[in-house]
Amino acid sequence: MENTPTSFEPTLNATVRMLRTTWKTKICLFLQVDDHGELRVRASDGLPVEKAAALTLKPSEGVLAQCFSKNKIVEVEAPAPLGALGKLLKGHPKKGEKFVLAPVSGETRVLGVLVLGPFSNKEKMLPREAELRSAGALCAVLSAHCRLYQWMSNFMPKLNHELRTPLTAVQGSIGMVLGGVFGQVGGDVKEMLEMAQKGCERTVHAIEEYLNNQNPK
Amino acid sequence: MKVLVAEDDPDIQVILKMVLTRLGKCDVSITYQGDQVVPLAKTNHPGLILLDIMLPEMSGLEICKALKADPETKSIPIIFLTARSMPAEIHEALSLGARGYIAKPFDPMTLVHQINEILAPVGISLGA
Repeated sequence: MENTPTSFEPTLNATVRMLRTTWKTKICLFLQVDDHGELRVRASDGLPVEKAAALTLKPSEGVLAQCFSKNKIVEVEAPAPLGALGKLLKGHPKKGEKFVLAPVSGETRVLGVLVLGPFSNKEKMLPREAELRSAGALCAVLSAHCRLYQWMSNFMPKLNHELRTPLTAVQGSIGMVLGGVFGQVGGDVKEMLEMAQKGCERTVHAIEEYLNNQNPK
Repeated sequence: MKVLVAEDDPDIQVILKMVLTRLGKCDVSITYQGDQVVPLAKTNHPGLILLDIMLPEMSGLEICKALKADPETKSIPIIFLTARSMPAEIHEALSLGARGYIAKPFDPMTLVHQINEILAPVGISLGA
């Protein structure tokens, strides 16, 4: 499949679905810290999409705080309060069940949380910590790619515009002088202006080659 | 011929005015604000509008849509003159009813010729 900012979304959702089925749970959520420091549901399976998309959580809230501040896998058993997350997982976990919150770590900080469940309280999660962390890392990598492509899709046209606009003024002025609009020029002046014009043309070719053709696909 | 130019860069405004006046023999009016284009088109009745895409207040694409939706201005040929030259953007601009598209940076000495080539099918020519 061709990679575009939009094609990453279904890939990320499919990954979350795959994790849910692999771990044999009803719900799998990948919550990511957004640009404002709040947690948003980036991908989910097993919950209504509209409900998940509308939820915003604070990483400092309730059980999420333990996950974030200690970079630790947290198991939440019923009837322990899930805080705001509980609104989303309404009705879960039930008696004898638990949810697992696995931090998704970057190089220097926790980037998000993978929420999986419900599991039976008897199920031991610690031996599977590496698996849980890898699953979270996979979501984080896909999400980072998605954000990078989105950023490039916005940045490339802007850069293109910002380079072409001043070049238009430079190339236009030189072109008019060389074209004789203000009288004939010759000798060294003409030679220098032709050199400047060639420089502009090379820059335009570079913009076309690197920016137009390297647009993320 | 009266030409209305919508361009927000002051240096390019100077170049366009000079080229269109001297080489195109046009009567040029210029605005840098997107929301002024439709009212100016209605009062000045230009024979051609040169439109940048990235303009303050209203984008060139929105302006083109508004001009083409108004019976008073829909027949005025529009040429986009812009630094945004991604194929998808060109396609979008032309699908809104513009006659053509000239990418920046343009060569001022051939600009009038480029405009005339775009306008040839409608029998309009600058520089006469």
